[in-house]
Amino acid sequence: MKKMKVMFSTVLGFGVLLCLLVPLAVGSGGVLKIALDAADISDIHPHYAHTTQDRGVVHLIFNGLVRYKTGDIGKFEPDLAESWEVSEDGLTWTFHLRHGVMVHPWKGNPGYELTSEDVVYSFQSAANPAKSGCAGGYVGMSFEAVDPYTVRVTLKKPLSETLFLPRVTDYMGGLVIPKKPAEELGEGFRTNPVGTGPFIFKKYLPKEKVITVRNEKYFRGVPKLEGVEVFFMSDLSSRKFGLRSKELDVIEGPPSQPWVEEMQALPGVKVDVFGPGEAGVLYFNVTKKPFDDIRVRRAIGYSISRDEVATTIGKTIAAPIYSPIPPPQAGFLTRAEVKLRGQQEGKDLLYDLDRKKARKLLADAGFPKGLTTEFYMTERGEYAIPMQNVVAQLRESGINAKMITIDHATYHHNIRADMNTIVLYNCWRASADMKLTHMYHSGSIVVTGKKPISNFIHLGKVDADEDGKVDSIDYLIEAARDMLDAQGQRALWQEAQYKLIDWCVSYPLFIKRFTYARQKYVDWGYDLKSTLILSPQINELTSISK
Amino acid sequence: MIAYTIRRILIAVPTLIIVLTITFILVRIAPGDPAEVRLGDYATKESVEALRKEMGLDKSMWAQYLETLKGLLHGDFGRSMINGRPISEEIKRSLPYTVQLTLMGIIFGAIFGIPTGVYTALKRNTLSDYIGRTLSLGGLSFPTFYLGILLMFAFSIKIPIFPVVGGGDIHNLADNLHHLALPGLTLGLIMTAYVTRMARSSVLNTLNEDYVRTARAKGLTERKVIYKHLLRNSLLAITALIGVYAIVLIGGSVMVEIVFSRPGLGKMMIGALKQRDYTTLQAVMIIFASLVVLINLITDLTYGLIDPRVRYK
Repeated sequence: MKKMKVMFSTVLGFGVLLCLLVPLAVGSGGVLKIALDAADISDIHPHYAHTTQDRGVVHLIFNGLVRYKTGDIGKFEPDLAESWEVSEDGLTWTFHLRHGVMVHPWKGNPGYELTSEDVVYSFQSAANPAKSGCAGGYVGMSFEAVDPYTVRVTLKKPLSETLFLPRVTDYMGGLVIPKKPAEELGEGFRTNPVGTGPFIFKKYLPKEKVITVRNEKYFRGVPKLEGVEVFFMSDLSSRKFGLRSKELDVIEGPPSQPWVEEMQALPGVKVDVFGPGEAGVLYFNVTKKPFDDIRVRRAIGYSISRDEVATTIGKTIAAPIYSPIPPPQAGFLTRAEVKLRGQQEGKDLLYDLDRKKARKLLADAGFPKGLTTEFYMTERGEYAIPMQNVVAQLRESGINAKMITIDHATYHHNIRADMNTIVLYNCWRASADMKLTHMYHSGSIVVTGKKPISNFIHLGKVDADEDGKVDSIDYLIEAARDMLDAQGQRALWQEAQYKLIDWCVSYPLFIKRFTYARQKYVDWGYDLKSTLILSPQINELTSISK
Repeated sequence: MIAYTIRRILIAVPTLIIVLTITFILVRIAPGDPAEVRLGDYATKESVEALRKEMGLDKSMWAQYLETLKGLLHGDFGRSMINGRPISEEIKRSLPYTVQLTLMGIIFGAIFGIPTGVYTALKRNTLSDYIGRTLSLGGLSFPTFYLGILLMFAFSIKIPIFPVVGGGDIHNLADNLHHLALPGLTLGLIMTAYVTRMARSSVLNTLNEDYVRTARAKGLTERKVIYKHLLRNSLLAITALIGVYAIVLIGGSVMVEIVFSRPGLGKMMIGALKQRDYTTLQAVMIIFASLVVLINLITDLTYGLIDPRVRYK
């Protein structure tokens, strides 16, 4: 009996101790807490920041000369520059800076007014491969401070507005890093960034969060929020419970319809599904058998229902696409346009599901009983889920495609080491030029290209249509790049894509938008349609009203 | 005992070097490159090569290994290949969270597991025994992350008394303990299951010993038999096994840290693995290995306190 009492007392004592540890509920006040699907930042130096979590942080702290309209990437608007003009020959761009833009205080320095000297320093730094992860975008450009509030950018070759402005917007190399703190902090700038944006960097707790506080001197007015805390939480359940317990105000979701519906059903929670999204495209390695045979590639095309793949991801999240450049990017092709072009040329460029045709093509290619192939695939859901559906659909046509699942970093390494036969690559690029150059230009061929990036097809070095000649769209990409007329440029990009579709070197599958859940009391302060940082923009207008 | 302790610490050095060597080789032969991870899709080959050079990855494996070893012998873990921060700073911040989580699990497990194990052994084949055994078996079979999620649901959503995000401020005891409650309970319940089962079997073994029968024959009260003879003799095995399970618990803390988004060595390790942060991964593995060595040493030293027959040579 006494033993029982001892045990009971121990249990009771522990229970009381736990209850004593329960303080009063903690409210988030004016600080917005957003949790992203990430283990940690990679780099919050804006010229290196390439992951969603990095961009989510740097966007709070920095500005560009120009910015994408908040919540709608279809339009440009002034940011640090009040206005700009371009010379008639398209070689000189002149930016007139706002007066009174204050650099955040740092390490005992009170901050100072941003001038053209800072802007020039920033672009020179972005163009330096030793100091930037996006230097390639600034080749052939020189920067000059005309006076404290005027910056001149001179190009070796003219660029259209569509291609030039993204390089000076609030995205990667376009984000302006002030000279003095960058030089003073040196390597430390990477984890202690100093900018001009609506929020000031306060603290970085590795693997946990970044804390920012509002910039009282922000040139667009004092932000409504007291601060923003960006949490790195790679576990979806934790993010969900964090939102439900109201410890978090906004969470990143997966591209999953059931998740969207589950969140929408929660009281007090709102779901944002926004663009531009990431285009999922299958790329065939034409140097590897049997994908060197156009009939095999087309057979794969005829074996896939894009609608089914998009539905697998989610009916409100994903939609089928028919061209390598996805909508709404300048140069994309609609289904009707692809169909019409096919009709004009007496070809079928849509490759809609037709298993009979697929089997016939396989038989013609010497695979009457079907074929077996294998490829590496990342474990990440946004790749693996649609690809599992593709694999199941291919099996129906006798194509046994075996997925070897590996972790995401290994997948990216392997596809760039030319180890895959079929590559699923989900991405959004800032322009059609960038997308076509990265994925289809001969210079970008993985491993062997002059500047290897992500031409997994080896287009430019292979005979894609089996006419005995090497096929390339380099000349179309380069001609479009040199063209100043927007309409003509678009026509060249479209022409390049018709060729790609005809050769079936890649197979556009879907455009997948981003999903976030937030408490209803969070007001973005703008209409969230699309954002290039791939997470909701939090700015001076964003507020919390509990 | 001092000489024994020093000898054990010295023996640990080659163990740690072996751990470092294996980790060093494994992370480097695994596909993926920290420079590629850091620079992302837009990076040119020149940028990647420049960064590889800056990270020292252009040197031979042997040169990198010697540099790492030299740094460690000087107590320098180096800098993170991804964020450039000194790793020792990150470890200094993360280690207390992992240690307090593991300690909470061990204490909870010992407080609840030992009495339950002893009680179920003494009440062998009764209803209490069956309930105790079933519950402990359930605890052993429960995945840590799932138990964590269930506890979050119960005590953060349905009865919102505990937070689910983060580890709290380490300098604020109340806040820190508040954040520790659920993760600690998760590990504690698992540990309770382990301890209950081993305490039960240890007591059952001791119950059949001659000295217990003799004590009872002498007419000692049951209380004296249990506390003076049975429990003390069973504790040696229990202590040894708690040491072993504490090591298991350190592994369990990795999942708990992920589920509760809590800072700690486990979260640090998973993040480093995903980002191919070689230097951080090596450092965390060394710390984990050191913890295992330390726990083993403490366990061995505890034997002498419990059992005077144990002599350290």
